[in-house]
Order: sequence, then structure tokens, then C-alpha cells
Amino acid sequence: MPVVKNRSILTGIQVKEAMRRNVHRLSLDDSIAVCIRHMIKFKNNAVLVNDVEGAPCGVVSKTDILGVYYAGLPVDTTLQDVMAGPPQFCYPDDKLEDAIDMMQNHGIHRLYVLGADSDKVTGTLAYTDIVGLLYRFCRTCSKSLRKTKKADNELPQLKVKDVMTAEIVLCKRNDSIKQVVEVISTQRLGAILIVDGQIYPEGVISKTDIVIAYVHGVSIDEPAENIMNTPVTSCSWEELLSQAIKQMLLNNIQRIFVYMDDKRHIKGVLSLSDAARFRSGTCKACVASRIIEGI
Amino acid sequence: MIASEVMDINFHCLHPKNTIAEAVRLFKVASDKEGKKIFGMMVTDDNDHLVGMLSMYDVLLFIQPKHVKIWGEMEDLDPGPLFDSLLNRVKNIRVEDIMTTDLITVKPNTHLFVIIEIMIKKHIRRLPIVEEARIVGVVYRSDVFYYLLRKFIE
Repeated sequence: MPVVKNRSILTGIQVKEAMRRNVHRLSLDDSIAVCIRHMIKFKNNAVLVNDVEGAPCGVVSKTDILGVYYAGLPVDTTLQDVMAGPPQFCYPDDKLEDAIDMMQNHGIHRLYVLGADSDKVTGTLAYTDIVGLLYRFCRTCSKSLRKTKKADNELPQLKVKDVMTAEIVLCKRNDSIKQVVEVISTQRLGAILIVDGQIYPEGVISKTDIVIAYVHGVSIDEPAENIMNTPVTSCSWEELLSQAIKQMLLNNIQRIFVYMDDKRHIKGVLSLSDAARFRSGTCKACVASRIIEGI
Repeated sequence: MIASEVMDINFHCLHPKNTIAEAVRLFKVASDKEGKKIFGMMVTDDNDHLVGMLSMYDVLLFIQPKHVKIWGEMEDLDPGPLFDSLLNRVKNIRVEDIMTTDLITVKPNTHLFVIIEIMIKKHIRRLPIVEEARIVGVVYRSDVFYYLLRKFIE
């Protein structure tokens, strides 16, 4: 009996084509401050922790650090006290689709790639890098709208409103950082919109902003406005999805806020991961095989 | 043929709490004052102790966008918005956040050949000369080179 197998754009792609080959490692007795600075400098969301023999034994992510800040621990706490583990591994010749399944099953965004020697980590496979790969792939696809100019009617392009999450979570500018951390952690967000008394958007606080505040010694009781990023990067809900993705890649951000008519009325949010569920968003040519569901 | 013969005793330092924006400005000030391009500066704390080095490489690495590999392929991109967000970032981040902290230092009486060995092996351009926890000077690769050159010509 023939087996029906859904092909997606990632079919046939191996982990080694999407992974980054520089691995950022710290050791058990490094401090959280060292870890945060490492994340800032190398724009990482997580760092691999090696044991005394140099074998990987844990991971510290920005989410973990948020918890440490919340618990009121000093920044010179060592990583062995806060790390989560063990890290999840894959191999360079694994199928990318299997790697994505594994991320989904474990609720994580990063796998470490092992080489021939099982104690040696040779690369990192991050979810955002797969998203980037998809975007790149679709741009060069022969069915892409960029190549077939006439196709406007046959293949309508996706717009931001088709993909965005219409619910947004807010914090007020005079809420404490502690409250912001609570909301971000319980709702599993990467960043949150900060509004003024009239619910007009004022700024954004991401996990990165919070870990920076932590290492700079900002008290967790200070108001959110002291550490928020301004202005809010936003786009219209009528904007083409591909444009929005481009804007996110350019600005080094994971999500963009969406307004309807008036920039002051934020109606939703679009994350790079949302966008990836709909492929690159360049066209609808292959929309039938949406690969990554709600990771 | 020891470090103190070659070292430059006019050097400029940054403070760990300087923002990257300030640091870039101080690079410029130092370059103008010395009449040569400055590629890296030492970072000293309130007690004048060496705590790190900030090189141009560190700053460039930091401002490099994460997804540069992807959008590097896009000729139709307007990089304008990139610089806006960049400007925001360099005001927020401090020297201590991105400086290099695992440093190699040498003493004023270290032999030049040892210094050359370190510079070659570790790809280092400048080495701080430290005596009893205080910086007394810095040896640049080019200074070592021209010092040796003179010796040869004589």
C-alpha cells in the first residue's frame, strides 16, 4: 500500500546545513554576570555549560536567568546553581524535520550538534536559524512571486493580518520590572509591550533588556519605563508578511507589533516563529505544507 | 631587548561603566591626540587596575546583526532602519559588557622574543605591561617590529 508522505520544503535538508558552527561554552563555576555578558556580546539566547572534564552538562537560557533575577540571587551566583539540563543533542546528518520535532517535544528552541566524538559539541542548531534558512530558501524558490510578476492574482501574497496573533499582553510603564518578569514568564513571551495610561504603546521590554538590567544592577522594583526600548517597532496589518519578516531580520528582533489604522492602536503581534509556520511568507505557492506548528 | 625599551607609556583607558557610544567617542579622541589610529584600549577600574581590553573587533562583533548571513544576500534592502536600532543599542550597553576579560599581560622586564611569541601564537596586537597590578605601558606589534628593524639596519 502506498504511504502518503507529506513533503515540506525542509524535506531532505540536514541539520548541518542550518547549524552554526561556533558553540558558546562556559564552565560550571563561571558567574551569571559572565554568562549574561556572553549572551550580549554574541547575541545568544542560551549558553552551554561544560563540566570540569569539558563535557557538556547543562544549558543556561535567558528564561533561566529571568528566574534567578526574580528570586533575588546576586549576579555572581555560579552557573552550576542555576543551569538546567541535560542539553538535548542531535547529529549533523539528522534530518532537519526530526530536529524540529525534537525541539517541539522538549519545548526548547535549541539543540546542540554532536560530532563523531560523542563528548564533542560541534555546533548549535537554533530555531531562529531554521526560520532564517526558510526565508532564504523561499526567496530563491522558482515559484516565488519575486520571479513571476504576473502572478499577483493567482497567488495572493500573505499579509501580516493572516498570520499575526491578535491577542496582546501589556504592562504599564509604571509597573515594576518584577511584574513584567512575572507576566513574561507565566505567558512564555519573549517580549512585552509597555503602554502609558491611555494604552498607547510606549516601548518594548524583551528578555534581553531584562538580563541587561540585571547585570547592570538595576533593582527589580524599579518601574518598567526605566529599562524599556523605544520606539516600538510596528507595522500595519495590511503589510505584506515578507516585508514584516525582512524588518524583523534587519532590526535584530524576534517580533513586531501590528497596528490597524493608527500606529497608537496596537492590535496584535507577529513573531518570527509565527511567520515560519507560514513558510517564508513570500508566496502562497506552497502554503499547503505548513511545517512548524506552534512551538 | 626587554619590554620597557619598546613600550609606549602614553596610553588611553576606558572605564568599565562607559557606554559603547562613549567608548567610540574616546577612541576618536585618543586617535586624534596620538596622531595615529587606535584599534584597542585598556579598561581600568576606579583603582587603576586593569580589568579588560576593548578592541575595535569587540565593538564590530557587537554591532553585527545576528542574521547578517541572510540579509547579506538581499540587494533590495534598505539598511536605514538597522542603524537606528544600532544607535539605541550602543547607548545601552557598557564597556564591561563586551570587553575581553581573559587577558595576557607581561612585565616590564619580559624579553622581546617572549612578547613576539605571544603576539604570534595568540594573534595579539597589543600587550599591556603590568607591574604590581598597575599598568605602566603597552607594547604594540608595530613598535616591536620597527624596533627590531632598526636593530637590523644598524
